[in-house]
Amino acid sequence: MTATFALGALLFTALFAVATLGITRQVLLTQREDSALQVAFTNAGRVQRQLTPEAAVNEILANLSTTEGSRPLIRVGEDDVQSINVEDFGPDDIPDELLALVEDGRTGHMLVTIRGEPNLVIGIPLVGSVQAEYFEAVSLAETQNTLETLQVILFVGAGTIILLAGVLGWWASRRALAPLSEASEAAEAIAGGRLDTRIDAQADRDLASLAASFNEMAGALESRIERDARFASEVSHELRSPLMTLTASVEVLENNRDDLPERAQTALDLLADDLERFKQLVEDLLEISRFDAGAAQLALDEVLIVEFVGQAVGFLVPGNVPVDVEPVLAGAIVSIDKRRLMQVLSNLLDNAEKYGGGVSRVAILPGRDDHHLRIAVEDNGDGVPADERAVIFDRFSRGSAGGRRGADTGVGLGLSLVAEHVQLHGGEVWVEDGVAGGARFVIELPRESARALEHA
Amino acid sequence: MGVGTRILTVEDDERIRTAVRLALEDEGWQVEEADNGEDALNTFTAAPTDVVLIDIMLPGIDGFEVCRSIRRTSDVPIVMVTARADTHDVVAGLEAGADDYLTKPFAPKELSARIRALLRRARSADPAATHLQFGDLEVVPDEGVVRKAGEEVHLTKTEFRLLVELASSPGRVFSREVLLERVWGYGYFGDGRLVDVHIRRLRTKVESDPANPRHVVTVRGLGYKLQT
Repeated sequence: MTATFALGALLFTALFAVATLGITRQVLLTQREDSALQVAFTNAGRVQRQLTPEAAVNEILANLSTTEGSRPLIRVGEDDVQSINVEDFGPDDIPDELLALVEDGRTGHMLVTIRGEPNLVIGIPLVGSVQAEYFEAVSLAETQNTLETLQVILFVGAGTIILLAGVLGWWASRRALAPLSEASEAAEAIAGGRLDTRIDAQADRDLASLAASFNEMAGALESRIERDARFASEVSHELRSPLMTLTASVEVLENNRDDLPERAQTALDLLADDLERFKQLVEDLLEISRFDAGAAQLALDEVLIVEFVGQAVGFLVPGNVPVDVEPVLAGAIVSIDKRRLMQVLSNLLDNAEKYGGGVSRVAILPGRDDHHLRIAVEDNGDGVPADERAVIFDRFSRGSAGGRRGADTGVGLGLSLVAEHVQLHGGEVWVEDGVAGGARFVIELPRESARALEHA
Repeated sequence: MGVGTRILTVEDDERIRTAVRLALEDEGWQVEEADNGEDALNTFTAAPTDVVLIDIMLPGIDGFEVCRSIRRTSDVPIVMVTARADTHDVVAGLEAGADDYLTKPFAPKELSARIRALLRRARSADPAATHLQFGDLEVVPDEGVVRKAGEEVHLTKTEFRLLVELASSPGRVFSREVLLERVWGYGYFGDGRLVDVHIRRLRTKVESDPANPRHVVTVRGLGYKLQT
């Protein structure tokens, strides 16, 4: 934009300068030529009248009225050439062409450089008692100087204009484009999830309507997404009441399981299992809807990560699952949302139990630098195929391995929630090959304590 | 415990009320019911129960108000039922005087475990320590009495157990996890807000200047301790 302005200005001013120079040059030269010719003809007429065979050519020359810078020269035959000052203008300075022309009886004039200066040399044949030619050299140095000065003025002017145009262009484009770049930043922000982003009101009428419709769109989008998220949240809430009744009722049935016929016991077990899964699904949906509504907030606590992970693994997984700790991390304190990290570990461990043939190892490892650490959960399964590693964290993605999971259909929200929770902590999660061949889910968390939540 | 222990459940959804009553009765509790706040207060005033279970979302007088009203006259253990654990409802319920909370849908067996923990008697680590003095603060575990500058302070059962726990090792720092375990019967993953809000409530009763506590002090990043 700035370059376009400057280029436009350059072209325009260059054209303008060249044209001005050309025209001025033409006008000035023509004027000078005309006046010089006039004077030269007048002088030639006088010389013609005074020139007799006995007249002193010198005197005639001295009596001629010449304008400044003009030097007359009288040539009588080949040898008698009289000039006021031969140094200034001598017979050698007359171009052959002009000489031939005048000797031929015609008048003529030419532009000639004499002693480095531009001159107009005029030649007029004299027809009187004596055959002679009158020449006059008129210096154009002054005109040349004027033209040069003009040239300098024009070029400096043009340069200044180009510079000014560039600056103006830069300023104007910034001014003109600022609302547009603001709009594009706002659009990116909205795409990035900051749905409450709006553009400032614009003074320019066209931009004002652009800003207004942009904000209107953003508002509509925001309320729509909020409505969707609220809907999911309300549905989940509404499901809580029947789930409460179901949970309590199933418990009553389980309390009296021994009194039930065998077939009813089997049905009760199915009911109880699926009720648990249903409850988990509702919880996950509610959690997800909070992420979607942008309402998810961290409640940070500083914990000894080794203790936390150890407790979580002991709490969540039956049997003795080793938690390997890199010695340097033994005393590492990390700021985390305990509830969320617990859910992350619960999902990963559960996943390993259900689909990975059991947890083989949990490890606390150094991160990519001193400011991060990793928690890895390894299983005994077949690992996750490379092409599924990215999508496995998508909602309701179960991968092809899901097909082998038999009757257990899983829920498909667990890993996407893991990703959401970890990202909320400013961390990352991925899956890779474990040491023993199974899958290895790794979460990397920043170690900096945000000290966001102060207890008591 | 169990037989003869009466629980008042305040819940407007009849189906939930019935199912929860059946399950609680299986656990051996005696269950009284109320389907709104006013009824609950009348029932409790007429014949106070040993435990109260209140759903926060009630038509008319809401659960918080029922809780505050009961607290004015009684130190009965109160369990709040909230919709979600991560909302402000939990803190608001605890500040209204609840001792613990559960989120819907909860297992009645879990509720029973919570109630049993709340009904436990305050115990002193050192049986010989029958009379503990912290400056102007006097704790008598066996009598369930706390005096501040000679004047008796009314604490709820949970507040009292929390204070006695801290008083069992004066000067020692108790982590939230330890307090959750000893006072509420939760493990490592209990909600630390239970401790924080109860500590806050305790301070308003035993400290001269609750904003600058002298006895029940916070040890940043570690927990709480009781000092002279």
